[in-house]
Amino acid sequence: MNAFNILKKQTYDAIVVGSGISGGWAAKELTEKGLKTLVLERGRMVEHGKDYVTEDKGAWEFRYRGMGERKLYETEYPKQSTCYAFGEATKHFFVNDKEHPYTHDADKPFTWIRGYHLGGRSLMWGRQSYRWSNLDFEANARDGFGVDWPIRYEELAPWYDYVEEFAGISGSREGIPHLPDGIFLPPMEMNCVETHVKEHVEKNFDGRKIIIGRVAVLTVPHKGRQRCHYCGPCHRGCSNGAYFSSLSSTLPAALATGNLTIRANSVAHSVIYDEEKDRAVGVRVIDAVTHEALEFHAKVIFLCASTIASAQIMLNSTSRRFPTGLANSSGALGHYLMDHPYEAGATAEFTNFEDEYYSGNRPNGIYIPRYQNLDAKTQNKNYLRGFGCQGGATRVGWERGKFMPGFGADFKHALRKPAQWQIWVGGWGEHLPRYENYVELDHNHKDAWGIPILKLHCKWSDNENKMREHMRDSVAEMLEAAGGKNVRPFLNEDPPGYCIHEMGTARMGRDPKTSVLNGWNQCHDVKNVFITDGSAMASSACQNPSLTYMALTARACDYAVKEITRGNL
Amino acid sequence: MQTNKMENHMNRREALQRVALLMGGTISAPLLNAVLSGCAPSARQVEKPWLPQTLTPEQNELVAAMAEMIIPATDTPGARAAKVNEFIDLILTEWYSSEERVRFVDGLNDLARRFQQAHGKDFLAGTTEQQTAMLTALDDEALAARRTGVKDLPFFAMMKELTLVGYYTSTIGMTEELVFQPATDRFEGCIPLGRVGKTWAELN
Repeated sequence: MNAFNILKKQTYDAIVVGSGISGGWAAKELTEKGLKTLVLERGRMVEHGKDYVTEDKGAWEFRYRGMGERKLYETEYPKQSTCYAFGEATKHFFVNDKEHPYTHDADKPFTWIRGYHLGGRSLMWGRQSYRWSNLDFEANARDGFGVDWPIRYEELAPWYDYVEEFAGISGSREGIPHLPDGIFLPPMEMNCVETHVKEHVEKNFDGRKIIIGRVAVLTVPHKGRQRCHYCGPCHRGCSNGAYFSSLSSTLPAALATGNLTIRANSVAHSVIYDEEKDRAVGVRVIDAVTHEALEFHAKVIFLCASTIASAQIMLNSTSRRFPTGLANSSGALGHYLMDHPYEAGATAEFTNFEDEYYSGNRPNGIYIPRYQNLDAKTQNKNYLRGFGCQGGATRVGWERGKFMPGFGADFKHALRKPAQWQIWVGGWGEHLPRYENYVELDHNHKDAWGIPILKLHCKWSDNENKMREHMRDSVAEMLEAAGGKNVRPFLNEDPPGYCIHEMGTARMGRDPKTSVLNGWNQCHDVKNVFITDGSAMASSACQNPSLTYMALTARACDYAVKEITRGNL
Repeated sequence: MQTNKMENHMNRREALQRVALLMGGTISAPLLNAVLSGCAPSARQVEKPWLPQTLTPEQNELVAAMAEMIIPATDTPGARAAKVNEFIDLILTEWYSSEERVRFVDGLNDLARRFQQAHGKDFLAGTTEQQTAMLTALDDEALAARRTGVKDLPFFAMMKELTLVGYYTSTIGMTEELVFQPATDRFEGCIPLGRVGKTWAELN
């Protein structure tokens, strides 16, 4: 990306803070609509392709062969190294925990997984892409937890169409009302055990379905990007651009307009608010390398720094008018932090498919759309809302050798063949929005750039705990019914944050007294500041949220530019 | 521009692989990478001889011999050819805690001592039957420890696990013993095992 403009001026039409999934979309939409846009990225530059330095490497090319740099992780990456995508092949896409500290209550651990570099977590994300429905947008109004969403599915549906058409989502059309179909590229195949489980679950459990995952990976060439070649480890980066990321997709589109400037190593300190004008005028930045303080000005500001980081910037933007954080007259800023409870489900073995195998390392799994609390028939008395399940089946490989007796030629030749099929299925559940789950600035501790670090307060409530118990029992029941052997239920005690679906710290709502943003992701109090990352979510639903961030961001950009044209911003 | 560059790269890679197939063999991944990056292995590059950092030369030979007993050369090369002993020495030196390192080395010395006591000679000088009997006894102990969920695994459990990891993540393990397919046109969910014949070597 040597075409990046050299920084000449300090004033732009728009500033976007963050370059992950939301920031990439904001950059694309605003530049395509003609706004000279500055993207501020707190981390280093990453060049698509060239900087995917581990992309093609075989296991033998890593010093510890994938076992990880254990001692380094213990001291420098204690939180990040718990992430499934973290390892010798990807460490360079995760922050050093020591250099980027945060704290939490001793009895309320929170795992905050971060990637500070151009593209952010869009480089390592899980790529699962599901629409939300009115089951989700009406949930708060229905049971009274959280404030009512100011939007409904019908308003977002055309924007889901819009972002899916560009991003490229592979999936199957299923006609499920609460998991609406989208604009899909051809679906990936299930393997024979997944198909077997699907048939048995759908036969034995009225109304349940098992579908192939909907995933932002190309099954056919799309918009100049190449299709997936099924190597497996997407999170190392993909030079072919086969999965959607800011670097493969949105930032190149933004760059092509000639309206984009990217400034890396730019830590957003705060939003500058002008009391006389009663609007934000720019963003205060600390250069990550030189520690120099800089100011950049613009007509409109989009915060896309991620749920927790955007809240940090807003909380750190204080003035006489907003002493507790920008646009915080409601007091909701930083509160109602949510994630998805997961890691509860079951595994099972299947022994009757010995002659079947698969070809390719599919970067996708199967999905069981939510089947609880949809109606009177599916009501669960133990908890509100619900969960969907994800999983997949594979054949066990050489790793089993350590549990196998023997050694020598027979042992080696036995390990040469794949062993039994194993399936893993777990739930991803909804987290109720609660005021007591929140982030705050710890003014006694500052980071290397002089910014107060965050203290996080978040825990699961009884509702999430009951839901996870049901994930475990319900998945085990399905795998038993499908004829699985050695069904092993599991429930891991993972802290919030571990699912990397943080949401809710600047929630949308109809009432400025109880919410930070209106239905356009626009601050009720400061009209030229928009927040379009996970902060905006008024509830968490149970679907992976990134696709919804994309749709909300594109929609907010369209609205902001119209408001500028109308002279309202 | 970047995309075109990658297409060229991929085309070149595919072309090279096709050539290799025509020649009736596979081109090893390191060689392929070297050719792709334009730097063929140079004859002038003198390889520094490898020396163990934690194991003594005698212990290293014992580890290499035992690894080869676990994964021997058959119709494909075994653990010794895959330099599993070098991997094990690296793990002992840099990865294990001092407690784990001591447990491994003590276990290794204990095995040598037990063999000497039983047969009056070094393990390496023993007959295949004597060596196999010794490892079988150790393997039984190791599996029993795994089954009871012992946290600090005994020597042979460590030895066997490191041998497996070292072998199946080596070029030999991934590309000769298993089937390595870094790219394919499409994911096929259900194919006859016979078409592959062996386990896939997977990147992750």
